[in-house]
Amino acid sequence: MKTHRQSIHEALLLIAAATILGFAYTFVTKQGFFSEKKPAFSAATANLEMISLEKAKELYESQSALFIDARHDFEYKIGHIHGAINIALKEIDTHRVWLENIPKEKMLIVYCDGAECNSSIELALKLMELKFTNVKVFFGGWQEWKANNLPIDKE
Amino acid sequence: MKSILTNTILILLVRVFLGGLFIVASLDKIVDPAAFAASILNYKIVGPTLAMVIATILPSLELLCGLSLILGLYPRTSALFITFMLVGFTILITSALLRGLDISCGCFTQDPNVSKIGYIKILENVGMIMLGVLLLFVQNYGITLTQFFPQQKNAPSDKI
Repeated sequence: MKTHRQSIHEALLLIAAATILGFAYTFVTKQGFFSEKKPAFSAATANLEMISLEKAKELYESQSALFIDARHDFEYKIGHIHGAINIALKEIDTHRVWLENIPKEKMLIVYCDGAECNSSIELALKLMELKFTNVKVFFGGWQEWKANNLPIDKE
Repeated sequence: MKSILTNTILILLVRVFLGGLFIVASLDKIVDPAAFAASILNYKIVGPTLAMVIATILPSLELLCGLSLILGLYPRTSALFITFMLVGFTILITSALLRGLDISCGCFTQDPNVSKIGYIKILENVGMIMLGVLLLFVQNYGITLTQFFPQQKNAPSDKI
């Protein structure tokens, strides 16, 4: 009985210490809940529009959107959606000047390798932070586009 | 089986391995909680606020449990937490795979282009769960930090 009580005591202690440590660290480093970007993160995630292959194809054919490939450049070079530009998630800072020349209301469709992969969503959130107002994620990504024999480019 | 449970060197190695893995896994998440929250959101189970709460507390819990297991401060409770966390992660990954999500694990790194979820990841987790369960049944954890502190009179023993 004493052992169980001690285990519960230890478990509560670990949870309490983790909670204090987690919130204290994020408070000191101004991250997470204490980040100034947090409201944008939550709101942007909630507002992010995911589009299907059919919708992506329709927008591609209408030439009304700019496709952005969020994968690494070596994957982009192997093959990408025709006309798409490459902005690897970790390299967005090197594209900031170029992005400033794009009208903020321009429709941007971000994709990565497959269905709902992270980098397309994260890049889309970063683009929304840069005040782009019409950002969508094509969640089927490169794999679905290629599997349906839609136009591609190779370098 | 009994010889494994009583082999203090082997148990120490398992503690260092499992504890070390959890410490390493926690670091990237602690450094960038927003990226970890984004990884949690990709599983499409919780909303942004709860994802951020989890991203704030879970990495610290991983770090503390890993340290505690290696140092032998609360070895059984830490092993229990680690096993629970691994079971939870495995259920999440399985559920994501069954729903056809092609997402990165968010386990050791928050780089979205590496460590995609898959059945190999589930097998890895099952292996670690077995190690965690093994530690729950250990009678003597070998070298622990508590050995270097005077025990309180009538303090409950770590042994069952």
